[in-house]
Amino acid sequence: MGSAKARILLLALAGALAAPAVPLPAAPLAAPVASYEISCRLDPEKKTVEGTELLTWTNTTSRPAPTLQFHLYLNAFLNTRTTFHREAGGIARGVPIPDSWGSVEVLRMTFADGTDLLPALVSISPDDGNPDDRTVAEVTLPRPVAPGETVRVSLDFRSRLPRVFRRTGWKGDFFMVAQWFPKIGVLQEAGWNCHQFHANSEFFSDFGDYDVSIDVPSRYRGKVGATGKRVEERQGAGDRVLYRFRQESVHDFAWTADPDYVVVKDFFREAGLADVELLLYVQPEHASQAARHFRAVKAALSRMGRVLGPYPYPTLTMVDPPWGASAAGGMEYPTLITCGTHVIAPATLQKPEEVTIHEFGHQFFYGMIASNEFEEPYLDEGFNSYMTDRVLKATYGPDHPVVNVFGYRIALGIDKIYPVDAERRFFDVSTQDIHAQPSWKFRDGKSYGADTYSHTALALATLENLLGVNVMDRALRLYADRWRFRHPTLNDFIRCVNEVAGRDWTWFFDRTFRSSGNVDYAVEKATSTRAKAPKGLFERDGKLVDGPPPALARVRGYDSMALVTRRGETALPVDVLLRFEGGKTYRSSWNGEGRWKRFRVSGGPRLLEAIVDPDEKLALDEDHTNNGKRVVPDPRAASRWTARSVFWMQNFLDTLTVAW
Amino acid sequence: MSPVRSSGALACFGRGLRASLSKPYLAVSLWLIQLLLASVLILPVSNSLHDLLDDSPSASRMVANPDLGWWETLLRTHPDLLGNFPDLLTGLLTPEGVTSSKLSGLRGIGAAAVSLGLLAIVLHAFALGGIFGTLREPHGSLVTFGREGMRRFPAFLAFTLAALAAALLAYRWVWLETGLALNERMRELQSERQALAITLARVLLLAFVLSAIKLVADSVRAIWVARPDLPPVSRFFAGIAGALARPVRLFGVLLSAIVTILTLYAIWIVADPSAGGEARFALVPLILTQQVFVFLRSLIKVGYYAGISEALTRTPSPEYSYVAAPSSAAPVAPPAPDDEPPLENPAGAV
Repeated sequence: MGSAKARILLLALAGALAAPAVPLPAAPLAAPVASYEISCRLDPEKKTVEGTELLTWTNTTSRPAPTLQFHLYLNAFLNTRTTFHREAGGIARGVPIPDSWGSVEVLRMTFADGTDLLPALVSISPDDGNPDDRTVAEVTLPRPVAPGETVRVSLDFRSRLPRVFRRTGWKGDFFMVAQWFPKIGVLQEAGWNCHQFHANSEFFSDFGDYDVSIDVPSRYRGKVGATGKRVEERQGAGDRVLYRFRQESVHDFAWTADPDYVVVKDFFREAGLADVELLLYVQPEHASQAARHFRAVKAALSRMGRVLGPYPYPTLTMVDPPWGASAAGGMEYPTLITCGTHVIAPATLQKPEEVTIHEFGHQFFYGMIASNEFEEPYLDEGFNSYMTDRVLKATYGPDHPVVNVFGYRIALGIDKIYPVDAERRFFDVSTQDIHAQPSWKFRDGKSYGADTYSHTALALATLENLLGVNVMDRALRLYADRWRFRHPTLNDFIRCVNEVAGRDWTWFFDRTFRSSGNVDYAVEKATSTRAKAPKGLFERDGKLVDGPPPALARVRGYDSMALVTRRGETALPVDVLLRFEGGKTYRSSWNGEGRWKRFRVSGGPRLLEAIVDPDEKLALDEDHTNNGKRVVPDPRAASRWTARSVFWMQNFLDTLTVAW
Repeated sequence: MSPVRSSGALACFGRGLRASLSKPYLAVSLWLIQLLLASVLILPVSNSLHDLLDDSPSASRMVANPDLGWWETLLRTHPDLLGNFPDLLTGLLTPEGVTSSKLSGLRGIGAAAVSLGLLAIVLHAFALGGIFGTLREPHGSLVTFGREGMRRFPAFLAFTLAALAAALLAYRWVWLETGLALNERMRELQSERQALAITLARVLLLAFVLSAIKLVADSVRAIWVARPDLPPVSRFFAGIAGALARPVRLFGVLLSAIVTILTLYAIWIVADPSAGGEARFALVPLILTQQVFVFLRSLIKVGYYAGISEALTRTPSPEYSYVAAPSSAAPVAPPAPDDEPPLENPAGAV
């Protein structure tokens, strides 16, 4: 490289490093559709939040809206007959659901013209018709809201929080207040999109501006974290303190309070990305892990920001729930995420790091891109798992810590929802459901998790391998830019991929998302035998004579064959590599459509092994152990592992018998 | 003048180790029993592994270092190979623990391993009779081991099964039931440290109760052999009394044995001869090293049982000792046990 060029490059690099952070946009990021002004008061003894809500809502469809529909999420915890309880079967996040009940009551509802709407408010169950479910309510308006018209609805509500077992609730003095206020659904051209609260589903709502005042006892002074930026703190009446938070262009609001919180601040600044104030509300016994949380979230801000565009909000609040309230952890809300760690959390296990990065990733897919988590949960959880893996691998390396116990390696910290790392064979597999379907229609929670998280992440990793990382990043960026603050569907992402790739990749999504199929290619057989001269009658000088002509009689090398089969239901294009003696290789491609394909090489060197998908592009391949076949068996590994197995068995028996 | 022997736990264990070293065939017999039991699995394991690995390009990678992903995929794609055996092992100290209902999830080699474990427990009762009996003999041999083992087998099997039942009950009531009872309260604790402290206390309590059960059983075995002059019921209660009379010493011997075995394991893990494969050991040296390790562990195990006998022995040896009391008079042959005479004329002998 010439010195002039080098100087220019250095200057450019220096300029990039010195570039000021992207200023925050002055204008709202998204046109507000549903904005809220809420004043609420926490009663820690009664575990209730009472509030007044002023909803400003715009009909963005082309049709008048004669009704409004509201989510009353906390009613999911009303009793054991709700849809949530029926679907959960008494278990939430692997823990028995306690007998602690939650509810949200609408005490007053008034239309802009002063009409009392409360008598017209009725519960509906659009998903399953469960008459005992009260998580969705509909109110008929005195007059339809015209297209483009903005109306205001004022209401009073009382929310009773459960002992936390599913994202929201209390434990002692700790409060995680989420899904807590009556919240309007999303009106689309086809009508209201307002689903009930299900065991496996998350949420969907319109963007708006939130201005929330929170009145808490003074023992919570300085220990209240929430969506958005704190704009006010003042002494309230009596022994109370009042906080006010504001945030534009978000679609939900959550807050937390715990007198035990240790609040730690940090700041993210990186050239080309927006500045972000980082707030960590951490438990005292985890305070020593604050730096790990910050490192993780900064890595995510940087690496995800460079692929998906800058995180545009001025703050990010991280919450560490206390012991016994882990059900509140690992959840995302706009500009606020709940993490989770333990007192014993070796750095090599990357546990708080993993959950922090993952929950931050939701700020893009759930927060800004805001796809419908009820109907297409994989667009958030699966896409985010894919990006989480990329950030984890880039930041902490691809390998997970492994404990070697007498030659048997026990992997630590492997989470099967992040399967695209170096040990990506760790993932749950499910072929019980169409991979891409509404969250409440999965057969069970395991199937939901396997399809929504790991299958989607693996499908995207496969797509990345087939497209190349640059094309994939451009497609993701186009998707994120085009659909930021809107509500895209899978089709919208497919269009972005097609646009960037310049080819139609719909087939890929039809096979990997819109089917229940699995991917598994295998080398069934590989042989290599010394080539033999042909035998029989051959025509020579117009006569049939016994034996081949000299040209055919001279044979050299080996005849090799590899039989590759498709064991899975899903067909994807795949490479096949034949490796020969002398370092020679033969690479071929197969469209993967048939059930099998035979590859032959005649007269070449001796075949050593045949490998299907040698570059491991098909991350979706559920069994990589059958992807290759050696012509000459190598018994060394099996013999050693047999010896180790006997040794382990001896130790097992010795340990078993030592006790009695 | 007779030498006064230290009655400290370490000294007892040390003397036990010396006794074990002086009769290495006892450790050999333990090693052989375990090797023969484990060898039942050689063919199933070997055939499965050769079938899965020999033709795989992964094989060359796995000679030296195990491919973690390969194993995990294997467990996922071949659930009938082990069933839930790994979950049973790792789930023992989880809050839910392992209950008998989970045994129905065992498959293939995993199920065979557990069955062999039960067989090993039964054979261990035989081995203990042989060990304790042979340790009494000034000039024992493998024949003595077999003879003594068979003589004590019915009684020792009863002790073993009783101890096993007691241990299972302890696991249920000390671990599972307290876990269930405390589950809600644990979540309500103020901090995770408190929960960890309670969990640690439960682990220690379980370890203590299991140790106590083991020590009582071993004490009964030792006295059973040492006091053939007493009727069986008296021997049984004398064994329990022996454990109750010297709890600290017995726990000390057990702790010494555990520390020694853990040290052996630590050395193994640091040296790591299993990993590294051909880079460190070829197959035959690897197998030999492994078997030396098992043998050393067996030596320590025999040393522990000899140490327990030592701990129940007073100097000069009165009623509880299997060691003849030192005497200035001419040595007198110990009286032959009158309750279980040696089989001089076994049935069918001419």
